[in-house]
Order: sequence, then structure tokens, then C-alpha cells
Amino acid sequence: MFFFKKKEKKQEEAAPVVNKEELIAKAAEKVNALEESEGDDRVKLLNEIGSLYTQAEETDQAIKYYEESLELCKQHGKASTDLMKLYNKKRQEAAEAKDDEKVKFYMEKVQSLMQMSKDMIRGNA
Amino acid sequence: MQVLNFIIKNILTQASVVIGLIALLGLALQKKPVGAIISGTMKTILGFLVLSAGSSVIQGSLAIFGDLFNKAFGLKGLVASIEGINGQAMTDLGLGSEIAIVLAGIFIVNIILARVTKFKYIFLTGQALLWESTLCVVFAYFTGLRGLPLILVASIVGGAFATLMPAFAQPVMRQITGSDDIALGHFCTIGYMFTALISKLTGDKSKSTEDIALPQSLEFLQDTYLSVMVVMVPFYLIVAIFAGPAACAEYAGDTNYIIFMFLQALQFVTGLYVLMAGVRLLLAELVPAFQGISMKLVPNSKPALDCPVLFPYAPNAVIFGFIFTTIGSIIGMFITPLMGLPMILPGVMSNFFAGGTAGIFANQVGGRRGTAIGCIAHGIFIIIIPALLSPMLGQIGFQNMTCTDVDTVFTGFFFMIIKSITGIF
Repeated sequence: MFFFKKKEKKQEEAAPVVNKEELIAKAAEKVNALEESEGDDRVKLLNEIGSLYTQAEETDQAIKYYEESLELCKQHGKASTDLMKLYNKKRQEAAEAKDDEKVKFYMEKVQSLMQMSKDMIRGNA
Repeated sequence: MQVLNFIIKNILTQASVVIGLIALLGLALQKKPVGAIISGTMKTILGFLVLSAGSSVIQGSLAIFGDLFNKAFGLKGLVASIEGINGQAMTDLGLGSEIAIVLAGIFIVNIILARVTKFKYIFLTGQALLWESTLCVVFAYFTGLRGLPLILVASIVGGAFATLMPAFAQPVMRQITGSDDIALGHFCTIGYMFTALISKLTGDKSKSTEDIALPQSLEFLQDTYLSVMVVMVPFYLIVAIFAGPAACAEYAGDTNYIIFMFLQALQFVTGLYVLMAGVRLLLAELVPAFQGISMKLVPNSKPALDCPVLFPYAPNAVIFGFIFTTIGSIIGMFITPLMGLPMILPGVMSNFFAGGTAGIFANQVGGRRGTAIGCIAHGIFIIIIPALLSPMLGQIGFQNMTCTDVDTVFTGFFFMIIKSITGIF
């Protein structure tokens, strides 16, 4: 299939080295700056914090800031695409831990995020 | 013995009861409280009955439309509506019980395949699974299968499609999402991959649709049923004008023929509204029950989700995809009669969801130019492919309708090929 070769190449390029502590420190700095920000600046900052925590694999923290960002401003982009992956990660962890309630909880989160995407593109959000 | 006979003859032959029993099983397996089991079961039964009511309203309207279309243009006109196909199959063709059992069978086969093969995809889009289950049952029935063999074969074929279609789309999905976590669970995959192929051959990946400033939403699609109405009313009125008052009088009586056909178009939308309310009720208990079970049994699975999961990655591509797929579907609509096939009237909502997602696939591999060319080709593809299936659907007993989601159409082709091969021996 004409798409398969590229995939292998991409996977080889992936896996950059990240310093988790550095990322968390950067995120904490931005969290401090949150108090003084509002409007679009706050949304931008929340997305940056969400992204840093995602890279640092601090899933719960990343979810918290991305969710606040989308609450303030519903928009397509990194916040919603990252959030979908984070919910799925939590759902997978819950499934491995055989925690039915959490599986259900994160499946519902996935569904509502998809509904939001659908509504936004149809001008309902 | 008499009691058993009574149960078999009067209860288990009722599709609504069988569907309710499947929901009951799903809820019981999740160890829900008794109250939730009873209410969930009853709601599922109600869902089936609402669906049946909607289906008969649609068919009443389409019977008039189909006859007048024939009188007006001398050829068959079919409305592309997978919902309508499901409604007719579940009610008029009497396959409701089989479709519901196969829906559960597809879930089970999907779980088994995800556990034992390298394809870890769990298909989670309930409505799409219902459409797939419908086509599997209809064509298994058409090939002559009945009873348990029908249920087994349809479940295996549907389960294989539910596992393999997300796998088929995954190479492009990985490029779009930049990861391998999430898959696409929408039975239009063959159309998406066809679009991606055309786009890759004709496009330029470096010029993305997302670099253009566009409004981020299609506001005229805010209300599903209003959008369907905007398309169906002109179709019905054109047919009324070309058929003329004399031909319409047979149905319209003393009412003005234009007003009558306008109201018939609204009847179609009403039927769709009711039918979809039934589908939602029917699936509301079944799908979460099986989702929970499958996620637990295959914890390392990749969820295959409905197409809106991709919209945030390239919202402009969704809008372009819808526009160019619609252009393509109108071209396709005029091509099919030239091929000696019925004229297929495109569905606005399938153009939006399938077209929008095709736009994302096309943009990923071929940029703006690829999206325009690929999606026009996609529009033609999603009209011609269901048109090719329509003679077989007509033979089975479907009236004035054909499928939309192309993977379900290919399910039909698959069964026909198997039938031809087995016919040789």
C-alpha cells in the first residue's frame, strides 16, 4: 500500500529525548503567570501549560489545563486533539486496572469531545 | 409445552422483544441494578417501535416520489439513505431480530479478532455498526442463508469489516493524528482511502487547506433536519413540475400538486426525524453496554471512533471536503443514468460527514489541490458505488432507496462475490 512506507520512516524519526523535570518547571512558571492573565492570553497560556504537561507525561495535569482552555474558548486545534489522546490514555489505564467506572467516565469524555467538534464545525457551539 | 410454544410463536418472533432481550443481556453482563435493566430493556423495545413508525412514514413519502420521478423522467430515482435502508430491512423485510442479534455478534467477533490478531481496533460507532449489521444480514439472507448460519456468517463478515476497516485507514490516520492511539470507526473508509489515493497522485502536500482563512463552521448545517429539508424540498418540487398536475393528482386529490409535493418532502424529513429518534433509543443502551465490555476485554485496544474525532485536525479541510464531495455527487447523479443505472439523489448529511472526513484525508496527503480533485472524485465514487448495488437491493425488495456508507456497499459486493463463487461449485 502506498501509505505504509512513510509510516515506518516517521516512527524512526520519533522519540525525541525530553527532560521531564525541565518541562514541569516550565509549566509551573506558566501556571504562576496564569493569575494575571485573562481572555485570549489566558487560553494561550493554558494551552502551553497543557502541552508541557502532555510532553512531561503528567496526564491529569495536562487534562486539567486543556479542559479549562476549552471551557473558556471552544476551538479546534491542539487542545482538543491532545485532550482526545489524553482521555484515551486514561481510558486505557483504567481498562488495565479493570476500573469499569473510570473506563465509562473517560469514554463519556471522549464522546462529549467528539460532540463538541461536531457542533463547532456546524456552528452550534 | 403449550407455554413454550406460545413463547416461541408469539414472543420470540417479535423483533422488538428479541432486541430488548439483547439489551437486557448487555445490561445484566454489566451487573446493572434491576431497575436500570428493566428501564433499559423497555427503552430499547420502544426504540425499535419508534424506528418502525419512522420507516413507514419515509416509505409512504418515497413511494409517491419514486412513482412520480419515474413518470417525470422515465427512469428510476433512488434516495441515498442508509437510515431508510435500515428501517425497511428491520420492519418490512422482517429482519429486525436478525439485525439486532448480528449487531451483538459483530461486537463479539470484533472483540475476538482484536484479542487474537495484531489488529487491536475496537469499533465504537454504534450507528455505523447498525448499518453494517443491516447490510450483512440483508445480503446473507439474499445469498440464501437462514437462521443460525445467517447469524454466524453475517456476524463474522461484519466483525471482520469492523476490525479491518479501521486498520485499512490507519496509515493515513497515523499521519493525521501524529500517533497510533486512535483509529477511525466510520464505514466510509474505502471512500476515504480512494480519495487519499487520488489526492496523493494529483495534489501537493506542502500547500495545506489549513493555511487559508475560512469561516470555521458551516452554519447552514446547524440543524440536521433543516439541512435535509433544504435538499429534499427542491428534489420533490422538481419532480412535481416535471410530472405535472395530472400525474400528481392520483396522490394529491384536490390539493394543489406543488403544495402536496412540498408537504410530502416534509413528510420524508418527518420520517427521518422519527426513525433517527428510534435508532438513538435503540442504541442508547446497547452500545455503552458493549463498549464497556470490549474495553475491559481488550485493554490494549485502539478505539475506532466516529469521524468528528478528526475534525479538530483540519477544520478547513472538512468544509472543502463537503463542498467538493457535493459537487462530485451532483456530477455522479447525472453519470449513473448514462450507465444504465438508476439516478441516485445524494444525501446532504452523508456528504457532510463522509465528504468532510474525506477532505481531511485528502489534505493530509495532497494539500488543497488534492482535496479539490480527490473530493470531487470521492463525490462521484459515493454515488456510483451505491448505484451499482441498487439492482440487487431492488431484487431483495428495497423500494426507492439505496445505501450511502460505501463500506456497507462493499459488504454487499463481498456477499455477492461469495455467492457467485459458491454458485460455480
